[in-house]
Amino acid sequence: MCDTCGCPSPSDHDHDHHHDHDHGHAHDHHHHAPQGRTVDVHASLFAANDALARANREHFDEIGAVALNLISSPGSGKTTLLEHTIDALKGEIAIGVIEGDIETERDAERIRAKGVPVIQLTTGGACHLDAAMTHKGFHRLQKEPGGDRIDLLFIENVGNLVCPSTFDLGEHERVVFVSVPEGPDKPAKYPKAFTGSQTFVITKCDLLPYFDFPVPEAMGDALRLNPALRTMTLSAKSGEGMEAWLDYLRQLVAAKKGRAKQ
Amino acid sequence: MHEISLVQNLVQQLKELAEANKATKILSVTMEIGPLCGVVVDSFRFGFEIISAEEEFLRGARLEVEIPTVEYTCSDCGKVLHSSEARPECCPACGEITLFARGGDDLILRRVELE
Repeated sequence: MCDTCGCPSPSDHDHDHHHDHDHGHAHDHHHHAPQGRTVDVHASLFAANDALARANREHFDEIGAVALNLISSPGSGKTTLLEHTIDALKGEIAIGVIEGDIETERDAERIRAKGVPVIQLTTGGACHLDAAMTHKGFHRLQKEPGGDRIDLLFIENVGNLVCPSTFDLGEHERVVFVSVPEGPDKPAKYPKAFTGSQTFVITKCDLLPYFDFPVPEAMGDALRLNPALRTMTLSAKSGEGMEAWLDYLRQLVAAKKGRAKQ
Repeated sequence: MHEISLVQNLVQQLKELAEANKATKILSVTMEIGPLCGVVVDSFRFGFEIISAEEEFLRGARLEVEIPTVEYTCSDCGKVLHSSEARPECCPACGEITLFARGGDDLILRRVELE
């Protein structure tokens, strides 16, 4: 149980499977396995995470924040994009950030320098954030100055295109980033990162002249996996494509506020 | 290697299951691993071997893996195919590359044999 809000924590494993079946009713199958008995369980291992992700989503909704889960390989430029985004939307949209990394506070320090509420989650080796870590992180963020009024919450996942795809954090949308130097074959090689996302952003497009990165091919591969993907190409450094990104964020926030008023 | 953390969750669940059923030993565990759930079967097995060896009640337990089929529907000609292998590259009937998948995205603890 979470001390702050009473949400179920992943250590309370009862909550996710004891509603739909009874642990006590073991079936005896002596004819089948003389020394053992078989218990039918049918419990998803994702259930605990998903339950907590739903609780997170409710928390985000309560404060009227849109939450985005940002996933990519290490070094795709997520933190740099966030720095530029915070500068561009200053005074317009209240931003909060949960930073996920295996080690160090470095990303959080970069964001803190921009004057927005931020907390760093260090996973201590784990290759992804899960809903439980996010939950704790969100409560910590709420205690930061300005953490009680956030319109747009960025959850920057651990740099990794594989493992984060499996874990719902309670975000409203998931954004996957691929930077030009990484090459165009990421959608083909890491499909789950693209099937589970709503938006695909190619970053560092100022480097396109120096790399073989056919943008339409990468976009095509991604859209094949997920025809509903929104796609964008940008460079935080040169500013190219930034308006489309900022408009996307503005629209998400406006849609959220619009719904809250109704 | 998020498989390791999933196995850790599983072991916790198995521990509770064993207690609830007053069992001291788990003999086998049957998992259903969807081909699209983002879990590599070999990595899951590897994690299970390592972690089960550390837990008295789980030591020597067999891990049985069932792979369910996924239903793919071609976005163009509507052909439906079933596969428990990797996602097909394209529709075998018309060559269209956008296929809609249904199922196969969960990781489920199905059965436990205990004593």
